[in-house]
Amino acid sequence: MDFLLDLLASVLPFGWLEPDFMRRALLGLILIAPACATMGVQVVSFRMAFFSDAISHSAFTGVALGLILGLDPRWSMIGFGVLVGCGVLILARQTELSTDTVIGVFFAAVVALGVVVVSARRGLGRYFESVLFGDILAIRDAELWLILALALAVLVFEAVAFNRLLLLALNPPLAHSRGIKSTPWEMAYGILLALLVMVALRAVGLLLVTALLVVPAATARNLARSASGLFWWASVLAAVSSMLGLYLSYVWGSATGATVILVGVLLFVASFGWRLVRRLRLVKP
Amino acid sequence: MPDPAVILENVSVELGGRVILDSLNAEIEAGCLTAIMGPNGAGKTTLLHAILGLAPHKGRILFGKNRSDRRPRLGYVPQRLDLDRGSPITVRDFLASIQTDRPLWTGIARLTDQSSEAALERIGIRSILNAPMGKISGGETQRVLLAQALLRKSEILLLDEPAAAVDISGEALFCDILEEIQNELGITLLLVSHDLSIVSTHARNVICLNRSIICSGPVAQVMTPDNVRKVFSPHTDVYSHSHSHPSTAS
Repeated sequence: MDFLLDLLASVLPFGWLEPDFMRRALLGLILIAPACATMGVQVVSFRMAFFSDAISHSAFTGVALGLILGLDPRWSMIGFGVLVGCGVLILARQTELSTDTVIGVFFAAVVALGVVVVSARRGLGRYFESVLFGDILAIRDAELWLILALALAVLVFEAVAFNRLLLLALNPPLAHSRGIKSTPWEMAYGILLALLVMVALRAVGLLLVTALLVVPAATARNLARSASGLFWWASVLAAVSSMLGLYLSYVWGSATGATVILVGVLLFVASFGWRLVRRLRLVKP
Repeated sequence: MPDPAVILENVSVELGGRVILDSLNAEIEAGCLTAIMGPNGAGKTTLLHAILGLAPHKGRILFGKNRSDRRPRLGYVPQRLDLDRGSPITVRDFLASIQTDRPLWTGIARLTDQSSEAALERIGIRSILNAPMGKISGGETQRVLLAQALLRKSEILLLDEPAAAVDISGEALFCDILEEIQNELGITLLLVSHDLSIVSTHARNVICLNRSIICSGPVAQVMTPDNVRKVFSPHTDVYSHSHSHPSTAS
């Protein structure tokens, strides 16, 4: 990890990146944010923002269960999130209820369970500020390695699955006629997304982690003119928001995760304006 | 007896405890257009899904004169795509994703593009290659969906009410293109439709379906007023007339 941190320092020789924790935060952000943004392209296509919300809100319960069972709460949180994700995906296929309803039931269950456990066991509350708002400035080596591995996994998955997921989103029977089976691909996507959400929670917190998936992808839709453009705009915008957000949070002394998301939203507003101007130009005689 | 392309032997489909298709037995003739007709909820789309291997079924679905249970290359033309108007996915992206597993974000190979252009050229819409899918008309979307099925060099094309979302002239144009392709390539077409005029003008054979097969055979024999009333409702009728349609005149 030191090699990557040194590389970052030599490529970006800025004063605000001199402290070790700032370089770690930047490395974590520029790995996790583009990974979230590229998976976010499919979150938008499959309308899965609510799924990601339900996973992130299971973090409370995951941490609480970890503390009660004597496990490291960071890992129990990730494990529980992935379990919840699998539960939603399996149950949505087994029942005739709509996916939204299944997610809604899981959402209620994990939040209620978390509140019951936390309120019954005094002293657990101190862990939850970092779950709510994220704490990228305190990221450790083990977590950076996990983020790096996950970013690579997302890259490999997107290389194999991008076209297949596009066809599945457009028309499942058409995808099937091409030999693309929906269950394994959607399950693999859902599990990877659940893992990504729980790891990204460290950066921006549970309240904003869905924004890390949706906002760059939504901005990219305003700017891109092709599927390839969608992918690359989302990745680049996520990296730019991360860097600019981290810098501004350093200058203002604000929460890093929230500042990164705020920059992302401002870029979305700018892209929306640009799209509007482009449309007006096209309409003009 | 002409060679069969698809053979249905006691094919039944049950979904959630409800019988959707009940003991279908039929042979679909190779190299011509067969229409599947029936009212809403008759199981027409489910039958296509069973042939595609999407709907679990009882009985046997066999292919070709050797009666093999191995599916040949099937092309599928759906009614529509689930795509919003603001999506930047282009016709070029869509056709490339049909042909190759190479992720679109690494670029599209020239050879892939050439095949897409040729497929669009064949059906007269080459100019929309770079247009966003969400911005093209209903008729153009149907033709792009037909182009993707042709790209696979399918032996059998399954078309699920392909012209349901287009106007009458668009529908006629689409069916003309379909007929041209069928004549040129000699492939088997299985078309789901509840448009009596389209079926009587373009199909050679027809299967009338309402959960079970009501009647089947050559259009001229099957499309009688009695059968049509049996399949749809007592208020439906067939008006035969002597003149030829411009779309079918050769």
